[in-house]
Amino acid sequence: MVPDEISTDTHIHEVGEFYELLTAQLESAYGKRNPQWVRGEIAKVYEKGHVYIDLVDAGSSPSDARRPMLGTHCWQGPWGSLKRKLSEDGITLKEGMVVNFLGYVDVYAPQGKIGFTIMQVDVEGLLGDAAKRRADLIKKLHAEGVVDANKQTVVPPVPLRVGLVASPGTEGYSDFTGQLLNSGYGFEITLVKTAVQGDTAPPQIVSAIQALDAHGVDIICLVRGGGSKGDLSCFDDERIARAIGASSTPVFTGIGHTGDESIADIVAHTRAITPTKLGEEIAALVSGWHQRRVIIPAQRIMVGTAEVLDEATEYLAERRRTMIFAVRDRLRAERRHLGSVRQQLLMQSRHFMTSASQLIVSTKQLLSAYDPKKRMAQGWSVTTNASGQVVKSLSDVAVGENVRVLVSDGSFESTVNKKDGNS
Amino acid sequence: MTKNMDWNEAATELNAIVESFDEGEVSVDDLFVKLERATAIIESLEARLDATKAKVEELAPRIAQVANDE
Repeated sequence: MVPDEISTDTHIHEVGEFYELLTAQLESAYGKRNPQWVRGEIAKVYEKGHVYIDLVDAGSSPSDARRPMLGTHCWQGPWGSLKRKLSEDGITLKEGMVVNFLGYVDVYAPQGKIGFTIMQVDVEGLLGDAAKRRADLIKKLHAEGVVDANKQTVVPPVPLRVGLVASPGTEGYSDFTGQLLNSGYGFEITLVKTAVQGDTAPPQIVSAIQALDAHGVDIICLVRGGGSKGDLSCFDDERIARAIGASSTPVFTGIGHTGDESIADIVAHTRAITPTKLGEEIAALVSGWHQRRVIIPAQRIMVGTAEVLDEATEYLAERRRTMIFAVRDRLRAERRHLGSVRQQLLMQSRHFMTSASQLIVSTKQLLSAYDPKKRMAQGWSVTTNASGQVVKSLSDVAVGENVRVLVSDGSFESTVNKKDGNS
Repeated sequence: MTKNMDWNEAATELNAIVESFDEGEVSVDDLFVKLERATAIIESLEARLDATKAKVEELAPRIAQVANDE
């Protein structure tokens, strides 16, 4: 049954013919020559050489059976270059992302589908979204104390037991381990292999950090060489940030190139700009300790020992010299003293002898002055009584007593006739 | 007797002897006794110093190896 108002004179199309008509109309309006921007939320991504992305209106409910859906796709050739560009900017198209695609309509008659071929992706818009999500995450991690948590852990002074989260065979792995192995110190590296890019990396890295933390190492190093922003974007994963924050072992990062800073870097205890630099810094930690605690003390001991020995040698030489001079001086002084005493004694003896001689002479002179013979020669005489005593007083003689009188040339006897006293 | 004294004790006694000479306190009778004692102390200390130097000579290359390991 045909409604009255619709003309029935028109040509009746075959299905294929109708699709050709439709395709021509649509391509004329929305074809390659007149591409359109379409904005939508990614509901599903399927990639196998080509990429297929189902877009729905942003914020629409999946339970809404009537919500419009646009099946978009990008063929392998253009998708390869588009994907590389996105990857360089750190963008991976995922479900839930709101994107702006430039493309054209594409009718696929065998399945009766109207699709959309992607020509271009609005990267700047995506970058703005990604940057905002990243900034929000960092803010949240700060607020929860996750950013500072691992920084509170203490790095052992000699971190020789290194837990390594990396992908062996990569440049970053070789650069990092090369620094440690060539340092000359006995680093003990415990490796937990993980993917270091892509969706599988975050859960593996989280498990590796947890395993190494439980295993007991001095530090955990998260290492990844340079790459595109997309390659490194897994290190912005919140799960990794939280695993680092929860680790009781200090986590060091050496991720990407100079200038790259992942959220893992922000949350880590210590961040180096490259794996090579991280290896250098860890080797420098050990080297610094070795310098401070072994080499410098050893040098001080050597210098100190030489100083003590030199001082002791000089001390003994000085004491020996001092003793020799002291004894020599003492003996000289004693000799001088004895000489002085001897001189003094000699002088005193001479003086004494002189004095004695003079005394003898004067005494002799005095004695000679009193010589009785000299007096007798002058007329003096000595009278002795009958008893032989020298008569000094009238009482020494009696009248009629015979006395002897000595004179200078002999003696004679005499008789006392009378005694007259001095009146 | 000096064998039982440590370096500081011996040095203190030696210094006291030298000081007594400096201050002229040594009589001629004591001089020989003090000189003999000072000589014994000096020889004992020198022997000890020589022994220490010999040990240091033995250890020095080993610690030098550590000190020069830069």
